[in-house]
Amino acid sequence: MAGNKGRGRAAYSFNIEAVGFARGEKLPDVVLKPPPLFPDTDYKAVPLKTGEGEDYMRALKQELRETMKRMPYFIETPEEKQDWRRLPRELMPRKKCKKVGPKSKKATDAGKVTSLTNTADVLKKIEELEKRDDGEKSDEETEEKEGNKEKSKEGDDDEDDAAEQEEYDEEEQEEENDYINSYFEDGDDFGADSDDNMDEATY
Amino acid sequence: MTQAEIKLCSLLLQEHFGEIVEKIGVHLIRTGSQPLRVIAHDTGTSLDQVKKALCVLIQHNLVTYQVHKRGVVEYEAQCSRVLRMLRYPRYIYTSKTLYSDTGELIVEELLLNGKMTMSAVVKKVADRLTETMEDGKTMDYAEVSNTFVRLADTHFVQRCPLVPATENSDPGPPPPAPTLVINEKDMYLVPKLSLIGKGKRRRSSEEDAAGEPKAKRLKHTTENKEPIPDDGIYWQANLDRFHQHFRDQTIVSAVANRMDQTSSEIVRTMLRMSEITTPSCAPFTQPLSSNEIFRSLPVGYNISKQVLDQYLTLLADDPLEFVGKSGDSGGGMYVINLHKALASLATATLESVVQERFGSRCARIFRLVLQKKHLEQKQVEDFAMIPAKEAKDMLYKMLSENFISLQEIPKTPDHAPSRTFYLYTVNILSAARMLLHRCYKSIANLIERRQFETKENKRLLEKSQRVEAIIASMQATGAEEEQLQEIEEMITAPERQQLETLKRNVNKLDASEIQVDETIFLLESYIESTMKR
Repeated sequence: MAGNKGRGRAAYSFNIEAVGFARGEKLPDVVLKPPPLFPDTDYKAVPLKTGEGEDYMRALKQELRETMKRMPYFIETPEEKQDWRRLPRELMPRKKCKKVGPKSKKATDAGKVTSLTNTADVLKKIEELEKRDDGEKSDEETEEKEGNKEKSKEGDDDEDDAAEQEEYDEEEQEEENDYINSYFEDGDDFGADSDDNMDEATY
Repeated sequence: MTQAEIKLCSLLLQEHFGEIVEKIGVHLIRTGSQPLRVIAHDTGTSLDQVKKALCVLIQHNLVTYQVHKRGVVEYEAQCSRVLRMLRYPRYIYTSKTLYSDTGELIVEELLLNGKMTMSAVVKKVADRLTETMEDGKTMDYAEVSNTFVRLADTHFVQRCPLVPATENSDPGPPPPAPTLVINEKDMYLVPKLSLIGKGKRRRSSEEDAAGEPKAKRLKHTTENKEPIPDDGIYWQANLDRFHQHFRDQTIVSAVANRMDQTSSEIVRTMLRMSEITTPSCAPFTQPLSSNEIFRSLPVGYNISKQVLDQYLTLLADDPLEFVGKSGDSGGGMYVINLHKALASLATATLESVVQERFGSRCARIFRLVLQKKHLEQKQVEDFAMIPAKEAKDMLYKMLSENFISLQEIPKTPDHAPSRTFYLYTVNILSAARMLLHRCYKSIANLIERRQFETKENKRLLEKSQRVEAIIASMQATGAEEEQLQEIEEMITAPERQQLETLKRNVNKLDASEIQVDETIFLLESYIESTMKR
C-alpha cells in the first residue's frame, strides 16, 4: 500500500524524469499563498496604437459617454424617502440643487432649442455649479434665477414652474430668517460680552 | 455568463444608463428569463422603477420579451449585446469612413436611441449637420435620406421586427405583449417617404424673442401632431453587417502585411464580390472565377490577367491558406477560407500575447508546440534548442496560465503515471476562450481605474468646467484680455498640471479599452466560427 516510505529517499509513483526533473532534489518551493494581486511583469507592455482613426474613436467614445448621461434613457436614482415633517425645512433638497434638475429639462427638450451662447442660460449654469459647491443661495441669485425663469424659452410645464416659484418664495423667506433676531437685541451688551467670553471662537 | 462578463456588463450599463437600469439589467443577465413582478421582488426595486428600466433596456435592444403560457410576459437580457456597447465608437467611425459625416451621424443617432423611425433620424441628423455648417447654410433632408437609403441598401441599417397587422375580426382580448415579426425580404426595404425640408439651426441669442416663449411653445406642439408617414417602422443599426466589414478589413490588412498591397487589393475585391452571396458565418466564400475577379478589380488597378493569375496562385499556395483553389474552370476557381483566416488571426494573437508576456524564447516554444501539435518535455528542449532547466520553467509558466495544456496518453489501462506519456499541446479554442475571458477582465479593470481617476479629481474637474463656462460667457459679452487672464489664473499652475496628467491618463485608458475590444472582436469571431462548423 504505502510502499517503501521509510526506506531510502522519496520514491515517486511516477517517473520523475517524465515531467522534467532530474533524479536530484532541488524541487521548486511549495506555494504557500495565493499569487499576488498585482504581480510583477517581466516585460513592459507594448505602446498603444496611435493614429488619426484611433484618436477620433477615442474622442468619440468620450463624447458618447457625456451624451448618454444627458439622454432621457439615463435614469437617476431617486432620493430616499424621508419624513419631512420631522426634519428642518432647510434640509429638504430643492429641485434646483439636484443634478437631475437641469438635465431632466434638457431631456424633455431633446428636440427643442437651447442655446449655450444665451448669456442668461450660461449664468444660470454657473450658478447651479456654484450651488452644488455651496449648497446655499444668496438673495441676488434667487432674483436672477427668477428673472431667468421668466425669460427662458425652455418648454417647461407650467406646473413645474409654479412649484419652483413656490419653493423660491419659501426659500426667500427662509433666507431672511437665517439671522437670529436676538443677535442685535442687546446693543449695549454686545461688545462687552464678546470681550469677557474668550471661550467661544470668533469667526 | 462568466463573472467577468457580468461585471463588465454592470459597468457598461451603469455608465450609460444609470444605477437602476444597471441593477435590473444585471439581475436579468444573472438569473435569465423572468416576469415583471419577480424582478421587482428579487431586486427590491419599486415596480415603477423596474418598468422604466425595462422600457429603456428594450428600447436599446438589450432585453427581449416573450409571452408565456397563462399570459405571463417574461423578459430576458442579451449579455453579448450589452458588451457590444464597447464597440459603438468603432461602428460610428466605420460609418464615417464609408459614408462621411452624414452616415456617421445617422448611425450614431440609431445607436444612441436604440431604434428610430427614418423620418425622425433624418430630421435629427439634418439639424445636427446644419449646426456645424456656416451661417446661412442648411442641410437638406433629401441628402440625408439618400445616405440613409444607401446605408439600408448595403445592409448597415435594418428594420426592426414589426407589430403584426391585426385583423379586426379577431374577437378575443389583445395579447399582453405583441409578437413582433419581420420578413426577410422586407428587412432593408426603405419606406417611400417624401421628406422635404431643411435642417433647423438652434436660435442664437440675437434672435431670442424674450417676450413670446409661450407662442413658440404652442407652435412646437402643433408641429408634433402632424401624422408621421412611416409610423411604426423602426430602424436599428445592423451590428452583424459591421462585424462582417471588420472581419473583411482585418483579413485584407493581414494579407497586406504578409504579402503586398496588390494581393490585399485582390483579396478585398474577392470579399466585396462575396458580400451579398455568402452568409456571414460561412466557413468559406462562394467560388469565384479568375475571370470574374479580373472584371471586378477596382477601376484604377492596371494589372494584366496573367499577373492576376500569378498573384492568385501565390495566395493559394501560401501556408496560411487564406485563399484556396477549388477548381480550374473559368481560369481557376478561388475561395477565401474565412474560417481558416480567422483561426490564423486568433493564433497570431495568442502568439503575440505569449511573446509580450513571457519573452521571445517562450514564444519560440509556443510556436514550436503549435506547429508540432504534441511534444514531450525532452522533445521541446531538443527542438527549441533551449537548455532543459529554462525550457521546463517556461513550459510550466505557460501551463499555469493555460496557454499550453497537457495531454495524457496512457500506455497501460491503469493510467499509472510512470507508464504514461505527458505531451504538451496547444488547444487553440480553449486558449482563445481563456484569453477572451482575460480581455473582459482587462476592460473591467480599465473602466474601474478610469472612474477612480475621475472621481479623485472631481473637485478640480468641476472647478475647471466652471472657469471655462465663465470665460465663455465673458467672451460672448466681450470682455477684455486682462479680465480673461484673471479668470484663467483662478486655476493655479500645479492644478493645471494635475488636469493635464488626468486628461492624459483618461485618454490612455480610453484608447486601451478600444484596442482591447479589437482583440475581443477577433477572438469572438474565431470562437463563433468554430462553434458553427
